[in-house]
Amino acid sequence: MLVNKKYIKRHKMGFVYFHWINAISFFLLFLTALPLYTDTFRFLYDMFGAATLQYAHRVFAVIFIANPIIGLVTANDGIMRLVKEVLSFGRDDIVFNQKFPAELIGKEPEGIPPQSFYNGGEKMNILLQAVLWALLVISGAVLWFGEGLVSPAIRTWMIPLHSICAGFGFAAAIGHIYLALGVNPDSMHGMCDGTVKASYAAKHHGKWIDELVAEGKVTREEIKQAVKN
Amino acid sequence: MAQEIAMLHDVARCSACRACMVACKQWHDLPADMSTPFEGQYQSHAELTPTTWNLIQMNERVDSAGKFHWDFFKRQCMHCADPACAKGCPEEAIEKLENGAVVIDEEKCVGCGYCTHNCPFDVPKVNKETNKSTKCDLCFDRIAEGMEPACSKTCTADAIRFGTKEEMLKRAEERVAILKQEGHQDANVYNPQGVGGIHMLYVLPEKPSVYNLPENPQTPDSINLWKDVVRPLGKLAGAGAIVGVLGMAALKGMTSKKEEK
Repeated sequence: MLVNKKYIKRHKMGFVYFHWINAISFFLLFLTALPLYTDTFRFLYDMFGAATLQYAHRVFAVIFIANPIIGLVTANDGIMRLVKEVLSFGRDDIVFNQKFPAELIGKEPEGIPPQSFYNGGEKMNILLQAVLWALLVISGAVLWFGEGLVSPAIRTWMIPLHSICAGFGFAAAIGHIYLALGVNPDSMHGMCDGTVKASYAAKHHGKWIDELVAEGKVTREEIKQAVKN
Repeated sequence: MAQEIAMLHDVARCSACRACMVACKQWHDLPADMSTPFEGQYQSHAELTPTTWNLIQMNERVDSAGKFHWDFFKRQCMHCADPACAKGCPEEAIEKLENGAVVIDEEKCVGCGYCTHNCPFDVPKVNKETNKSTKCDLCFDRIAEGMEPACSKTCTADAIRFGTKEEMLKRAEERVAILKQEGHQDANVYNPQGVGGIHMLYVLPEKPSVYNLPENPQTPDSINLWKDVVRPLGKLAGAGAIVGVLGMAALKGMTSKKEEK
């Protein structure tokens, strides 16, 4: 059934919180370590004090690590969906990734096959962020607790590893934000109250709609009606 | 160029009186350090700490011939000629002086701890109270005034010597020759080239590993990777993403305007 004859339930609120806690803690982690990455942001240390930012970095790290673990309970459906979707990466996703880039500059490419709950690009982003999360957690934990436990010959490699993961994670996040705000503003709705416009879902996630219809959660009629409005 | 200097610890001569540890604390005004609880051992501190920059490590050992040894090893900063700590410091707070001493500038240090991970000898320790990295500074301030470091000055057994690097290497070789004559076939001068050579030389009666020293320590390549690749690439990726997104937004704006017309 549609909400207000217009919206489809996409994410449970637990998953929405999981997303935002991850996003905010990532950016705060990035910001609190930025002075070590580039001297341009040295002023942050001068403003807040190096010790304060380093302490804050550890606090946000705990949140960043705990969030998906707690999420296994509070956002279980959503996280399982992430795993399932990434594992089902296939031909349609490859075609999507070949044709989609034109949409970035406002064109409407033709011949994109219907996409599932997540499209090919989203699947790549999910996988990338999951791998970066794991690498950031491992390298970060070694740098935090490794002294006296792990040989310096290994610890020293955690510095470039941690840095490069942060760099790529940030770049990918900027792209992600652009796609959400600039290219598909309708998608933002899904990360606010958990619903998206049926018209948006029908256009961008055709296979997901098929799935919902097959499960009897919505009817074709409802969707058609919503798309017209 | 200033004269290159070096310190030499002759492990075979050290009597573990530990006067050098006291002299170090006195000169650097370092407080007593109660981090290691007393459980009947001779060993004063388990490891170097933010307030213990010079430590005589005592190790009981039985050699292959069944003979008992009590080794005394002066643990401190090696003052590498190619110092990993200085190279990997994001704040350029660690400087290798012309005479070879590697010195942390407390004013510039932000306590990030990168040096503690990069040092192949695990020497620097971040003081949690001041959030500054700490280690032996080879008494560079005393050297600048024509004095020798506090530890070598105080050594009664002539186990710690200080002088030009040339003199110290020569002396070390002489001592190794004597030790070999006395039956220590593995006697050697510890001056690993993987870190560019060191300014804290050792005369070791046995192989370095016997004293928990790495046989062939290296200034790690991870630092070059971080400095020359990761940092520029990360900046490029971050700035590139922002610029790219703005550019695409502009293009998108133009396209949609055209369509409206």
